[in-house]
Amino acid sequence: MPDPREPAELVTAAAEDDRTAWDELEARYGPRMWAVARASGLSPSDAADAVQGAWLRLLQNLHTLRDPAKVGGWLMTTVRREAHAFLRKRHDVSPLDQDVLSLEAVDEPDPASAVLEADGRRLLWKQVSALHEPCRTIIQLVAIDLGNRQMAARLGMPVGSVGPTKARCLEKLRTLISSQETAQ
Amino acid sequence: MINDEYFLAALRLAAGNDPIPSHVSAAARDVYGLRVPRAVTAAPAARTSAGSDVRDPDGCHLMRFVTDGLTFDLEVTVGDGLIDVAGQVWPHPGDDAVIDVKTPHLTLTRHIAHNGDFAATGLPPGWLSVVCHRPGRAPVQTRWVRIRP
Repeated sequence: MPDPREPAELVTAAAEDDRTAWDELEARYGPRMWAVARASGLSPSDAADAVQGAWLRLLQNLHTLRDPAKVGGWLMTTVRREAHAFLRKRHDVSPLDQDVLSLEAVDEPDPASAVLEADGRRLLWKQVSALHEPCRTIIQLVAIDLGNRQMAARLGMPVGSVGPTKARCLEKLRTLISSQETAQ
Repeated sequence: MINDEYFLAALRLAAGNDPIPSHVSAAARDVYGLRVPRAVTAAPAARTSAGSDVRDPDGCHLMRFVTDGLTFDLEVTVGDGLIDVAGQVWPHPGDDAVIDVKTPHLTLTRHIAHNGDFAATGLPPGWLSVVCHRPGRAPVQTRWVRIRP
């Protein structure tokens, strides 16, 4: 099986009519773009629009990306901007023209979304596995969006204790991850 | 420090919860079919002091897109869940030029009147772009804009 192509190679190939390169870009970055859109607070249907919008932006910028090697960061920043534009529109905070005008120059990577990358996710899950109970189980249940009542039943604790315990465990995990990032 | 929402999103992603729906992936792959080779992109520009996309009193979007030598003025109306586009391209791109009004699901081709006017009706809401094809010259395409009721 051939080595996966580098991001810059994929961008160049897609710009030169190679559909398989586009499909590879989608397979590599699509799931993370979805996670960024959802993490920005969009509903599933708005997230779908935001992700599609980011791909449309890439299509129009295939030849003009400043650094094709950083296409992943470019896509994450673009989908986040689309998501924020949707949210502004929903809350009627700013005129529509800002949505289209704010899409210039998004070549810079999005540091916050690094945690959503495969390596970041592996590190995160490793840290979760290293937590003591009940934090390990609580975080695993948070990850599958289990409600406080069901969580209380699973853990055999009062419903009123779940929220504060969950907050403490998340804080502990966040501190672990941040200290790991600082050490790197 | 990691932002809360990203942190929770990463946990869900790591757990395989909230995966990207297959129709979203399919739509992203289909985007490639919308490519207009060699197209020059017309960027949003201020049509009035109010900006590049303003709404008139009837709720109609008034947008302007500009590139070297070609300007698109678009009036986009949303009614009954569908989009109508009335536009003008200037200076006139030539008698053989045509306009494509594109959405991810539908492209309508229109001839351009002597005064540069064109129109397309009954488009689905969502992403929209207009392309001017000029024989012997690179096509000009507006940036994609999202139109929702």
